Amino acid sequence: MKPIPVIIDCDPGVDDAIAFLLAKQLPELNVLAISVVAGNVSLERTTYNALGLVEFLNWDIPVYRGASGPVFRKRVDAADVHGSDGMAGIDLPHTRRVVQDVTSWDAIYQYALEWKGKLEIIAIGPLTNLAMAFMKYPDLPKLIKRIVIMGGSTLLGNASPAAEFNIYADPEAADITFCAGVPVHMCGLDMTMKALMTPEELDSVAEMGSKEAVFFHDVVQGIVEFMGRLGIIGINMHDPAAMLYAADDSIFKAYPAGIRVETKGAITHGKTVTDLFSDAKWQKNGFVVMDIDRDAFVERVFELMRKY
Amino acid sequence: MIDKMPIILDGDPGHDDAIAWMLAKASSQLEILACTSVSGNQSIEKTSYNARRVMALLGIDAPFAMGRAKPLHGEPIHAGNIHGETGLDGPVLPEPRVEAQPISAVELMAKTIAASERPVTIVATGPLTNVGALLILYPELKPKIARISIMGGGLAHGNWTPAAEFNILIDPEAADVVFKSGVSLTMAGLDVTLKALVFPEDFERIRALGNPVATVVAEWLDFFYGFHRSIGYAGAPVHDAVAVAALVRPEILTAADYYVQIETSGDFCRGATVADHFGFSGQQPNTHALIDINREGFIDLLVEAAAWYGKEQA
Repeated sequence: MKPIPVIIDCDPGVDDAIAFLLAKQLPELNVLAISVVAGNVSLERTTYNALGLVEFLNWDIPVYRGASGPVFRKRVDAADVHGSDGMAGIDLPHTRRVVQDVTSWDAIYQYALEWKGKLEIIAIGPLTNLAMAFMKYPDLPKLIKRIVIMGGSTLLGNASPAAEFNIYADPEAADITFCAGVPVHMCGLDMTMKALMTPEELDSVAEMGSKEAVFFHDVVQGIVEFMGRLGIIGINMHDPAAMLYAADDSIFKAYPAGIRVETKGAITHGKTVTDLFSDAKWQKNGFVVMDIDRDAFVERVFELMRKY
Repeated sequence: MIDKMPIILDGDPGHDDAIAWMLAKASSQLEILACTSVSGNQSIEKTSYNARRVMALLGIDAPFAMGRAKPLHGEPIHAGNIHGETGLDGPVLPEPRVEAQPISAVELMAKTIAASERPVTIVATGPLTNVGALLILYPELKPKIARISIMGGGLAHGNWTPAAEFNILIDPEAADVVFKSGVSLTMAGLDVTLKALVFPEDFERIRALGNPVATVVAEWLDFFYGFHRSIGYAGAPVHDAVAVAALVRPEILTAADYYVQIETSGDFCRGATVADHFGFSGQQPNTHALIDINREGFIDLLVEAAAWYGKEQA
């Protein structure tokens, strides 16, 4: 089978960085480009981090820069989780690489045209860039085969009691994306909270010895500490789980659903609302990924990291 | 002999309200001080008539008063698709024996609570309109309310809309008052009530008891299951009875304590009950949220309660 042509839209971000490490080694994916958006940290910083990560991985792909904040709102970030630099204080190599001089949304459209309906988007940050692309290019939906996102939750939130961070950060953009007409596969907290790697498993990665494996271990330690304070031992591999889902969904369980985003609720803004469990049914516009075979996931992560 | 727990039954009968009231009357642990009706499953006229007919059937002779025709804010919605045109379709019921008091449901609640020597537990199985109004109008009575056992909400999802359960959706403003009140709350939401399914073979256990109340209960279940079967349920979710089961047989339930807020606005989430799983709010838990039930134990409870009416009349 030919690898899937994909653009990774992201906000690096510690778990974005891990997703990069895996994506480069996934034979199922043909990563055409990286597109960055403000999210975990500022756009300036997510851009810097994306370029540094591509340099670190010696990965020959272009980086495009997108939105510096939500479509309609003020920016919120997650520097408390990812560190003020978004990389938990770990230095990335200096690079002469620069961002491309077209915006993310123009680039997404150009790639979509070029790949004639085969392009997929893996969006692991706020969905601002996608919303901008859909607003600018009305024919874009029929040129994109599928969107896999890390974001949302059917039950609880991690940015507020009701909302997951990536959707909370730009709820309107998320709803625009869910309603665009491209099937959205939602890798939300329901599944990613189960994609837990234990401290021992992180140590096993480090013991592989490559600089990439050591980076994998080191960059997540701040989050492991943060999670520990919430009573969770290890790290939820949110973005990496979405990346693996995009490559091979055989170790996941996903269900067709109607999915919308609450943009107005006083305490629920940013909540993804699905009709999966209610008596009321909506038009199906995507899939909610509810479950993962955790052990198989960790095995796949090991296998990919051994390639370095 | 321990004192019976004094309770007020506030509901919108409704098949599952009626079965909840059947459980309450049969329990040796509960003493029903008053019954009140609320607009919900059907109009206030219909739920009030049903409440009085159910009281006649079960032999509840406590005072009764009618609630208001509408939620505290906004317009009513009814669930005729589930409970039928009368709000309690199915078997023929005796005509009411108790007249409605010439005071409102809220006034009867307040009078009853004020007159009770011991704190009163309110079993609220409809929209929270009456309970919300009570807490707004008579805040001084809060210390005399032992607990409010609510059927309503769902921490994970809704039923009438994807995000909201019917009882909370109908009057989110009232629910917001109740959840912010500081009074002890037990929440029998969809998280638990959809696990309290009564299967057709359970209907037959109840029908086989042969007493007049058991026969009616079995026929209510037949009717109530009709709608739910049509949308794919394996049994009848007798939601409201769980709010009574929580009082009389807590050992069959598991629960978690959360700070729960009510969403009163939004495009999709009005009426959602939002639990603070990670402590974002910094608030202490306000809700004892039921999350699982021993279904077999629940069925046994229903069967024992229905059987009680046979012994009572023998």
